[in-house]
Amino acid sequence: MKTGKQRALNILMNVLLIIYAIFALFPLVWMILISFKSDTEVFTTTFIFHPTLSNYQQVLLRSDYARYIRDSLIVSGGAVLVSIIVGVPAAYALARYNFARKEELAFQILSYKFAPEILVVLPLFMIYQKLGLYDSYIGLIWVYQLISLPLLIWVVRGYFEDISVEIEYAAQVDGYSWYQIFFKMLVPLIKPGLVSSALLAFIFAWNSFTFPLILASSKVYPVTVAITKYLGTDSAHYGQLAVAATVSAIPAMVFALCIQKHLVRGLSFGAVKG
Amino acid sequence: MAGLTLEHLYKRYDNSGKKKKTVNDYAVKDLNLVCEQGEFVAFLGPSGCGKTTTLRMIAGLEEITQGNIYIGDRLVNELHPKDRHIGLAFEDYAMYPPLNVYGNVAFNLRAKGVDKNEIDRRVREIAPLMQIDDLLDKMPVKLSGGQKQRVNIARAIIREPELLLMDEPLSHLDGKARQAMRVEIKRLINKIKCTTIYVTHDQLEAMSLADKIAIINFGVLQQFGTPTEVYDDPVNEFVASFIGEPPMNILETTIIKADGKFYFTFKDSNLHIAVPKRYYSVVSDGFRCKMGVRPMDVLVGGPDSDGTPEEIATFENLGDERRIGIHVGDVLLMLITEDEKRYKRGDIIKLEVREEKTHLFDIETGDRIREK
Amino acid sequence: MARITLENIKKAFGKVQALDGISLDVRDNEFFVLFGPAGAGKTTILNCIAGITMPEEGTVSFDGKIMNLIDPAHRNVAMVFENYALFPQMTVYENMASALRSKLYREDEATIKERIDKAAKMMKMEKLLERLPSQLSNGQKQRVAMGRALVRTPNVFLMDEPLAHLDAKLRNSMRTELKEMQANLGSTCIYVTHDFMEAMALGDRIAIINKGKIVQIGSGDEIYYMPCNEFTAELMGDPQINIIPAEFEKNGSGYNVVIEVNGEKLKKELPEDKAVFAKIAADGIGKADLGIRPQHIRYSFEPAEGYFKTTVYSYESIGNKSVITAECGKYQLRMIAPNGLNVAIDSDIYLKPELDRSILFDSDSKKYIIRYDEEAIRAFATKEVK
Repeated sequence: MKTGKQRALNILMNVLLIIYAIFALFPLVWMILISFKSDTEVFTTTFIFHPTLSNYQQVLLRSDYARYIRDSLIVSGGAVLVSIIVGVPAAYALARYNFARKEELAFQILSYKFAPEILVVLPLFMIYQKLGLYDSYIGLIWVYQLISLPLLIWVVRGYFEDISVEIEYAAQVDGYSWYQIFFKMLVPLIKPGLVSSALLAFIFAWNSFTFPLILASSKVYPVTVAITKYLGTDSAHYGQLAVAATVSAIPAMVFALCIQKHLVRGLSFGAVKG
Repeated sequence: MAGLTLEHLYKRYDNSGKKKKTVNDYAVKDLNLVCEQGEFVAFLGPSGCGKTTTLRMIAGLEEITQGNIYIGDRLVNELHPKDRHIGLAFEDYAMYPPLNVYGNVAFNLRAKGVDKNEIDRRVREIAPLMQIDDLLDKMPVKLSGGQKQRVNIARAIIREPELLLMDEPLSHLDGKARQAMRVEIKRLINKIKCTTIYVTHDQLEAMSLADKIAIINFGVLQQFGTPTEVYDDPVNEFVASFIGEPPMNILETTIIKADGKFYFTFKDSNLHIAVPKRYYSVVSDGFRCKMGVRPMDVLVGGPDSDGTPEEIATFENLGDERRIGIHVGDVLLMLITEDEKRYKRGDIIKLEVREEKTHLFDIETGDRIREK
Repeated sequence: MARITLENIKKAFGKVQALDGISLDVRDNEFFVLFGPAGAGKTTILNCIAGITMPEEGTVSFDGKIMNLIDPAHRNVAMVFENYALFPQMTVYENMASALRSKLYREDEATIKERIDKAAKMMKMEKLLERLPSQLSNGQKQRVAMGRALVRTPNVFLMDEPLAHLDAKLRNSMRTELKEMQANLGSTCIYVTHDFMEAMALGDRIAIINKGKIVQIGSGDEIYYMPCNEFTAELMGDPQINIIPAEFEKNGSGYNVVIEVNGEKLKKELPEDKAVFAKIAADGIGKADLGIRPQHIRYSFEPAEGYFKTTVYSYESIGNKSVITAECGKYQLRMIAPNGLNVAIDSDIYLKPELDRSILFDSDSKKYIIRYDEEAIRAFATKEVK
């Protein structure tokens, strides 16, 4: 039975949550609003304005925005794909095999995420220029491994560790080869973790700004960098900037909403339940 | 004076908004129980039967839906746990890791602001009882499971509680440690003479420790009695099959009348057992019920026995004793013998049953059918 | 169906010598039990036979063919794992079909269905076939794990503590069921357990394993009646055997035995047994440990001729009977009593160990010396071996 005290507490909690929601969503809402404003109205802080689609026209039809999106997709998608190909076996090895300095290695992989990007990007810039990786898809996909690989390895490793090694033995005794076991037994079991960490890695790669800003220029142009184009030296087209930002945020938001449930479960639960 | 009285105790969980787990919303239903001062009572039942819920209500950790709880002659329904004068020892011995054993044992008294010398006196008094005198300076992480459980119990009894509550205190221990600890607990309670409620799902623990056993199933008290009573005189099929290992053989039977005598007969079997005379007033020709008999009361007859010849389905030599299984219809009837003779599967033995030890149960409700 | 031979198997994990020279010869169609305390190396032996673990030394052979370099998939063994190792994403049916759908042991679907139905019926789990492992109780999982092995026709069944995680009651009834199935198994089976009742009940022969070594191999009766040392004697039996330190004194043509009870020396005549007396005389044995099983300690609550007085330490039920433990100072004596006696802790009790049932162990090395009626018991115990 609920007492009056509990009810009051409930209401208070809800009020606090609503305040937080407004606080959290406001920048997003404001960005979308700006994208519908003409340049003259951008700086008005009222919610009353004359909505216009001209910014969208300008960005989506009269510039190379589609190309930027494509570049982002190629680079982020490629990065995640490489991470999966490299990361899943690495995670398996870290989970199953005992070798010298295993934990140090695992920690080192994680530590790639510790260094501020700006710290590593300058030396990388020089190296990339020498190697001819500067301003190339491969170069960016490579450097994005710093973002996506540690995440994937650590999540998937946890999943592998949760699968008892006896399950593999049982399958071996049943007459399956290692590859069959891996694809038939293990991959389905790590799938939740793999999917959620891959999607998260994709979002992180998509949002990356520092790396593409420095390591790419004209041939490869991800959206995050492209947005800055609308900040000219003489004038700032905040409306167009808002459109570019809104559109570039869509994939991340769509993913996040679609997989929200799975994401939380995938990252927090183990593979073998019950 | 009664140590603990439960009067029409109910616990109902509010299941609204949640997926209904059980049809029966009552975790505990109309529980009535009187434990005498100094008695050691076991709450025994399968997991989810409501025994722990009852314990938590007694401790004050769970709200009472309906009914009354008295500790001694105090009504404690509305009292805070700390004011109920109880000692608690749970399954997972949650010790304070930064404190050593002494600190852990003394913790409650210190929290109550008991005089330092008095605390020391009591800790020194209890430590040898629980055989933790050598451990007082150790940290909890250094202790074995059995030692932790000793400290845990010491912590519960140092407050000199009116009522000691233990919830599966041995379930984390394995085989031998468990057996040894069981003996220790029994000796300890015998010494401090504190009214104790002990929750367990292990009938062996209940049988060997308790003065009285309360057998609970689906939130309902099935039987409350001494170990001998529940073993020899079970009130229903549940109690009969829950107590004892191997469990009582329970077989569906049709009683037939031949030459003025009644016999138990069984489907797909030519086994027949005379019905004890005392049941003649309640049975009739064609009467259907269940018959229960303990494996110790089924015997292998000698060469001139007039028991029914039966084929052995399983023979297990366990060293100290031997167990024989015989198919009666689709039920495996077990018997235990200490006879040194070795049999094998397929051997024919003459089966005798101590008729006087058979019990009758209602085929639908499982309730005991008693002679009139 | 195969004869399994291990020769001098050694395996170390880091600094721990898990197996230290294990040699075994398991006969065709034999039910062979590996029995010992936790950490003795039993599971490692199984894993070596299955090919999951590679021994560092020694050979594993099936029917005389050395298998060391054959991988697990090609050894054609069926294994039941202690933690069941069911494939969580597959239904019970798919779990059981797994081996028969692999490339190596492929059968057509009709055969698979037939075999699974048969195994499911045997294990009484026909209704569980469509469930996922997460929807099963431990007892049911155990059945599935067993069923997964039973659908096959392997060289050998390897069972690793399949009943260990069940509660006592279920374990005993599953053991009985397993015993019933045993006749239909029709294959060599190596079974690991730490429960002596399982070992006794199921094993044609038992190997006692401790610290990576084989302590004794024999039929259940052989090991029970003639344990090769005190360690084995204590493993076989629950409540465990009583060990009483004793000294012998020459007394005419026979001997007196002196035992200490609560600090007091008690002198008794040693019952006559020609072989025992001859052994004592020949080896000049002055002291020995007497092993006497709990059912051979007589007790009385009244003073009686030939009984010595001591106090009750505990009285507790072990199911269909009870155990009285009596305090004797340096040791305790356990004995079997019926349920429902009114025995108070620390009350007086009078005891008489049946010395003519005792097993003599060396006081220092703890090894078996001789037992009463050795001849007759040896004949009786070894007769059982098939």
